[in-house]
Amino acid sequence: MAHHKKNRNVGIIGIGQTKHSSHREDVNQPELIHEAVRLALQDANLTMKDIDCVVHGNMELFEMVHQPDLWHVLGTGAYGKDCIRITTGGTVGATLSCASDNLAASGMYDIVMAIGFEKLQEGHTTGGITNMADPLWFRKIQAGALTGSSAYDVEREFGLERANRASLTYRIIMDKHACLNPNAHRAFGLEFSQIDDLIRTSPKLVGELKLIEMCSQSDGACCVIFACEQKAKELAPTPVWIRDHITVHREETFNIFGYDRTVPVIKTHKFAAEQLFRRNGIKDPINYFDVFEMYDPATWWAIDWLRDFFALPGDEHLKLVENKEIMIGGRMPINPSGGVIGSNPIGATALIRVAEAALQVRGNAGPHQIPTPVRHALASGFGGTMWTVMTMLENELNW
Amino acid sequence: MAEYWGVTVADIFNSMPERFRPEGARDVAAVFGYDIKDEGKWQLTVKNNSMALEKTDDLSCCVATMAADGETFVGVNVGKVDATNAFMSGKFRIEGDMVAFGKTGRLFRKFVLAGKGMTTREYLADMFATIVPRFKAEEAEGLDASFAFALGGADGGQWSVFIKDKACTVTTTIEGKPTVTLEFNDARDYVDFILGKIDAQSILAAGKAAAKGDINMMASKWPLLFEKYKDPLGGNVKEQELLTLKKTISINQRFATGPVMGKFLRGLKDKKIYANKCPQCGRLQLPPREVCAECRVRAADFVEVGPKGEVRYMDVVYYAMPDPLTGVARETPYGSINIRLDGCKGNETLPHFIRKDQIEKIQMGWNEMQGTRVRPVWEENRSGDIWDIKYFEIDE
Repeated sequence: MAHHKKNRNVGIIGIGQTKHSSHREDVNQPELIHEAVRLALQDANLTMKDIDCVVHGNMELFEMVHQPDLWHVLGTGAYGKDCIRITTGGTVGATLSCASDNLAASGMYDIVMAIGFEKLQEGHTTGGITNMADPLWFRKIQAGALTGSSAYDVEREFGLERANRASLTYRIIMDKHACLNPNAHRAFGLEFSQIDDLIRTSPKLVGELKLIEMCSQSDGACCVIFACEQKAKELAPTPVWIRDHITVHREETFNIFGYDRTVPVIKTHKFAAEQLFRRNGIKDPINYFDVFEMYDPATWWAIDWLRDFFALPGDEHLKLVENKEIMIGGRMPINPSGGVIGSNPIGATALIRVAEAALQVRGNAGPHQIPTPVRHALASGFGGTMWTVMTMLENELNW
Repeated sequence: MAEYWGVTVADIFNSMPERFRPEGARDVAAVFGYDIKDEGKWQLTVKNNSMALEKTDDLSCCVATMAADGETFVGVNVGKVDATNAFMSGKFRIEGDMVAFGKTGRLFRKFVLAGKGMTTREYLADMFATIVPRFKAEEAEGLDASFAFALGGADGGQWSVFIKDKACTVTTTIEGKPTVTLEFNDARDYVDFILGKIDAQSILAAGKAAAKGDINMMASKWPLLFEKYKDPLGGNVKEQELLTLKKTISINQRFATGPVMGKFLRGLKDKKIYANKCPQCGRLQLPPREVCAECRVRAADFVEVGPKGEVRYMDVVYYAMPDPLTGVARETPYGSINIRLDGCKGNETLPHFIRKDQIEKIQMGWNEMQGTRVRPVWEENRSGDIWDIKYFEIDE
């Protein structure tokens, strides 16, 4: 397939994030964005003069601001620059990364800045998500991003007890990771001994999906600077190379609730992972990658998706969680940052996955850095109606 | 000027304007005097929810005057000297109207030593000591309730707040059956919660706190009954006010259905449900979409399906979802179902709602198990809209 053949290689040379929080009422939108932009420029040792193009994205319906890129110019520094605004599903951030990579790889720009942002406190997230559905039918019935279907799937296959415990184990691992990440929004300090209590006491949202298992609504921004190979080598001591990325999106409705085994639904995560790994010659992804920053909006999706992304047979995905192999220091660390369950400024969230994966490759993620060297990292984005974006990052240009 | 515990008499007076609580001064209109030995005399005028302080030589116009030495005055204000003991032993005196002077106690927030934080125990003491002064009697008309606080950890304790006959009392025990009980595993979390450092949902979600009894009373009534607690430490540094602007947006919208969805919606008017069929894979789409999402070819053939079918999946929704078209939250719990209508196969399901009182009886189906059979309940006046079907109900 020729479509992923790059004109030139691209590396990440600067990363900045704000503190993510439920209330960042101390700053307005441009000021919030400016925090991330300033940190990314500092990280890359650049000024705005060095940036050729700014790619800006959020979920416009969430703050009800049209053309936010214009209002945000003081924060983004995009005045007089070439600028592109992108809005996709919850995947906005990952799409920003893909677009920036493509813009630099094409030769159009040498240095591209991607900015993902969301100030969910200022809008109505659930209302926004519901408004995105087809207005003629689904808008009136869907429950935003809340669904218990994954919980139902895992339960039906592995039993209520095991499914629930796996879900809460995943949740507590993510909390332990979030506690190490100074930018994380939610860091409760949960202990594994609380699993039974939490199963019993956490309020139910939909079906078996409980409040403690669902992601938060956060304010926050993330900024990542991409550079073409030549510039990246000149400017950065340790650029993180983008090997490949893939986007797969299904139809606009969730027609996946027939539960007919003779007509299985091909899930986009599974499809995307198969395509991406095949075209990069990766046969054993779980052993190839050293870390995976996965877009995990709820624990149930997370434990279910591990199987899809890594093509795991039987209950291997549950065992990974149950044996705590997904913890920092484990066989396949998932979300050392604490993941989406820890912080979810939606327009920034998927870019944070790429940024955090890149930090791990660079080896300077801070207290949540995994102890062994990270050579190959994977990041995923998720949104809309089964919308998957995957990005592969490498520490060496040797593929 | 002498210092006691690092604080001068002037520090106490100079910080009075910042510590002043207009809400505690609503029924006060008087001039108070302070005669501090070897330090000077101050006159405090309280009127119209505001105050003025001046240094003076003449306190003759004051309704009440406090006389003390500097050490006692500072000691009482910073909490190092017990006020009752000092009064009983004559270390300070009140001249004039003692009852009137008693009102000065709720005019000011606690004085806090600069650069020194407050412990959890000090915060709790201050929070519960200010409950009565912060009480808004006019909001308690006809209310008879008790709020119990069980705060764990080394610094914790128990408190009850009783409200009856528009009066508020506080005790350091929990007695009888409280209207609502708030339990925190660690009192520190309660302090952080009251100071706005952590939100209630986070603490509850993490299992660090629980609310029992009439939770609604605590959530909705408590904030009306009491002035918000102000952090005494916040008073020493003037903070910028955080402004947020509130907007409510509600706009009528209209959407063209297009011919494909239009045919489907038109069918509902005649109590008919149409799916469209992919000419390549034979898959049905419900509601119909112009192109088969699998084969990416135009799907122009319509077939009538249902209207009865079996439930293949149900989401029981406990979260009060707002209807985006009206903003009104749906009554919970409700059942969102995916129905495989007769004539459909595989994953060709239609989403809608189940009759409210039948959620419990629904069996979800898959290959080996038939789901509950359901039928649509039609609206009498149909307009070509999803709500032409009110909901589905069990087909008995």
